[in-house]
Amino acid sequence: MATVSFQQASRIYPKAERPAVDALDLEIADGEFLVLVGPSGCGKSTSLRMLAGLEEVDTGSIVIGDRDVTDSPPKERDIAMVFQNYALYPHMTVEENMGFALKLAGISKDERATRVREAAKILDLEAYLARRPKALSGGQRQRVAMGRAIVRNPQVFLMDEPLSNLDAKLRVQTRTQIAALQRRLGTTTVYVTHDQVEAMTMGDRVAVLKDGVLQQCDTPGELYDRPANVFVAGFIGSPAMNLVTGDAVDGGVQVGGAVLPVPRDQLTRAAASNGTVTVGFRPEAVRLAAPGEGLPVRVEVVEQLGSDAFLYTSLADAPDDVLHSADLVVRTEPRSGVTSGQQLWLSTDRSALHVFDAQTQQRVD
Amino acid sequence: MTIASGTVREAAIAAPPPAPAATSPARPRKRRQLTRNRWGYAYVAPFFLVFAAFSLYPFMYTAWVSLHETSLSNINGGTWVGLENYRDLLQSEFFWNATRNTFTIGILATVPQLCMALGLAHLLNYKLRGRTFFRTVMLMPYATSIAAATLVFSQLFGRDYGLINTMLEAVGLQAIDWEAGTVSSQVAIAVIVTWRWTGYNALIYLAAMQSIPGELYEAAEIDGASKWKQFLHVTIPSLRPTILFTIVVSTIGAVQLFGEPLLFAGNGTTSGGASGQYQTLGLLMYQQGWSNFHIGQAATTAWAMFMIILVIVGVNAVIGRLRNRADR
Amino acid sequence: MATLAPPVPDAGRSPSPAAPPPRRRHRGGSKAGKPGPVTYTLLTLVALVSIFPLYWTLVAGSHTNAEIAATPPPFLPNASLFDNFQAALEQAPIGKAILNSVLVAGSITVGTVLFCTLAGFAFAKLQFRGKGLLLGLVIGTMMVPTQLAVIPLFMMIAELQWVNQLQAVILPTLVSAFGVFFMRQYLISALPNELLEAGRVDGASTFRIFWSIVVPVARPAMAVLAMLTFLTAWNEFFWPLIALTTANPTVQVALAGLGSGYVPQRSVIMAGTLLGTLPVLIVFTILGKQIVGGIMQGAVKG
Repeated sequence: MATVSFQQASRIYPKAERPAVDALDLEIADGEFLVLVGPSGCGKSTSLRMLAGLEEVDTGSIVIGDRDVTDSPPKERDIAMVFQNYALYPHMTVEENMGFALKLAGISKDERATRVREAAKILDLEAYLARRPKALSGGQRQRVAMGRAIVRNPQVFLMDEPLSNLDAKLRVQTRTQIAALQRRLGTTTVYVTHDQVEAMTMGDRVAVLKDGVLQQCDTPGELYDRPANVFVAGFIGSPAMNLVTGDAVDGGVQVGGAVLPVPRDQLTRAAASNGTVTVGFRPEAVRLAAPGEGLPVRVEVVEQLGSDAFLYTSLADAPDDVLHSADLVVRTEPRSGVTSGQQLWLSTDRSALHVFDAQTQQRVD
Repeated sequence: MTIASGTVREAAIAAPPPAPAATSPARPRKRRQLTRNRWGYAYVAPFFLVFAAFSLYPFMYTAWVSLHETSLSNINGGTWVGLENYRDLLQSEFFWNATRNTFTIGILATVPQLCMALGLAHLLNYKLRGRTFFRTVMLMPYATSIAAATLVFSQLFGRDYGLINTMLEAVGLQAIDWEAGTVSSQVAIAVIVTWRWTGYNALIYLAAMQSIPGELYEAAEIDGASKWKQFLHVTIPSLRPTILFTIVVSTIGAVQLFGEPLLFAGNGTTSGGASGQYQTLGLLMYQQGWSNFHIGQAATTAWAMFMIILVIVGVNAVIGRLRNRADR
Repeated sequence: MATLAPPVPDAGRSPSPAAPPPRRRHRGGSKAGKPGPVTYTLLTLVALVSIFPLYWTLVAGSHTNAEIAATPPPFLPNASLFDNFQAALEQAPIGKAILNSVLVAGSITVGTVLFCTLAGFAFAKLQFRGKGLLLGLVIGTMMVPTQLAVIPLFMMIAELQWVNQLQAVILPTLVSAFGVFFMRQYLISALPNELLEAGRVDGASTFRIFWSIVVPVARPAMAVLAMLTFLTAWNEFFWPLIALTTANPTVQVALAGLGSGYVPQRSVIMAGTLLGTLPVLIVFTILGKQIVGGIMQGAVKG
């Protein structure tokens, strides 16, 4: 077990316009489960592969434990990796797949068998040890890939979207299993996903990347409650945070015909760049207000989820051309009786407002 | 997700937040390559060693030989004659005769062969009973060697007791002296080539046909296209790259035609018939080098053959490219 | 209207797990419709034409010369087959030729499959400077006629005193440009990069990766290449004719010699042809289905 540290690590592909990973600084504690998340092309997989030694580090360095591994080949890093497509050796049985690394490391046949069996037991794979990957279901293959990693008892687990090939239900199930397993083994884990729900539910901390640049690295709670910029605010949370941009006016931000109240000093600092401010509030932070108070909206679609309902609304008094830039999502009680086409008035708590400088996109508190 | 957050995100891309100060300037250092760059050479080395010694070097050396007056008995001590061998070749009636023969036999052997292969592939593409049997049987000629096939066919085409003449006479036609006539001998040789390669090409076409998505046929069917129209407007266009490929491969083979004309008379004479009526370039080259011992001339002929292939492949490539452009 | 897609879809990821590459042979839309009797008649006709010359080799080879010349000619095999075999074996060293051909074609097959798998893997999956150029060279030489190489090759083997020796026909044919291209095309799609990376993470050396991961994955294509190479090598005619004599021939050289007697005996020639072709036909009967599959597979990938 070990700490992992990226120090100003960059990967620049030849002929690329910008670095795939740009001066990444990240400290991962011993035993921590860190999730790298972001849209496709954000550099999360590249970062993981740099840590694995599968991708070169052009500038900066990477340290595992107290060893600088920047230039080491993968086999000298004492890491194990779970690939998106599992990358199981098709011609080997489950047992051979899981024991291959041990065999290469020169570990005796008996010990190999013991360790593979132990891992198989944890993962409920004992019945399949003699099978080949082709004869396994997707979920079983995924577990074999996990097993191949844990038999090695490495310093760090690297997981590259290991759940993306499973169907939705199995994904949710496996998600908790992996998190529980990691906590039990206590092995430092770096996990890559594009799914923010996966990131939020699994990680001790979550690092959000975009365009090769680290946006924010924090606990799931902090990311949700205090997103550092507009991108993180919009990326974390489902449905996403409502974000509206408008001119700063006296007492708040102009949204359509109404004004969203924002505290004065916050507003002043947020408007410092060019006078426009982006305000965000989560669907659950919206309350239905008495008619005539707050933002007037028209309900377009009601989405019933059983446990709650989401109202997709548009600003009632907005001119047609800005209609779409001002859609707002509201979470309500499941059986509130609201129907589409209805006119509503919304208000939010001031404390639930996230304020960003529309120019720099940065959070202002 | 709402459109709102979407537009904000777009805006965010336009104006990205300031990056955590990029302190390290881009100074890609030279590192031990982790992606195993040098190993590539180790893997291709055995191939290229043999390849260089027994292919590349000979190709080059042939060019050098073609500029010399050399004979088989005097292998290394030729005299430099520059382009004289080429001049001689272009003035040689044997060369022009062989070139003509190569072209006519080539066309006789390739065009019907590929057309038949296409039709055959179409038939094989039905849901057939005994599908494997038909496919395998049609590939049998491909497994038969040139020598064996030619020996058998030269008997079938025999003047006096050949089975084909016997059958012609049985239906009241005149027997043909296949070997003696120019057209008849060339047709007979083309038949041997066609027999050996039709099944093989049919399989290639069949493979290409099977990779055409079935939805295309269903769409055509819904649009009211008949089976024949479907073949014409779905199958053939989808097969175009494959057809071009087989044309190129077959012509390269046709230019090199050698074993069939050599053994057609049964006795391995290099003249290609009494009046050279079916002597091909390949045969001429062999005759120059190994019957007349004029190695320099033979090398010149070999280069001429290569040039002809290059021209044919080039023309095909241009046609392919033009058709592709026309499609766009 | 609001779009309800999940946040930041990461679409376009290939969902193919560690399973083998998809087989395209059984696609849904086979040209439907039942084949009519016309189709079967035509196919049977083609099958007959394909097989008849081979069958006739047997017929002619099992009669005496006089019997085949009769009108109407015989259409069933007869008893003289073994007498004719005997005569053919006396006229040409066909037994030795078969042994030689097995040796030659076998060596060429082993060498070609090995070298082409190595090189095909490098061209498919490794990055190195000059890769495109080298691959272009390999593909380019597929157009070069054999005739262009035989003169220097002949000089070479004369110099080395290899004329009439088997290595003279083995070595120059030990590699094949087609084979490299074929293996490359196969490995590009059949061998996911992740598999190689998994091997590296598991601690395998470069050659261990080749031996324990690449070769097992490449095995089906290697088998196809082996069959095609063996067939081609067995049937190779031009170069063996130059490099060998009837004193130490391959089958094809022996067959060429068989026809050049003063009084060609048709039935003996046919019996000899049958002897020389039989080994391939036997192999083909056993592996025909695989060879058919291999050619079709190669056609789609190529």
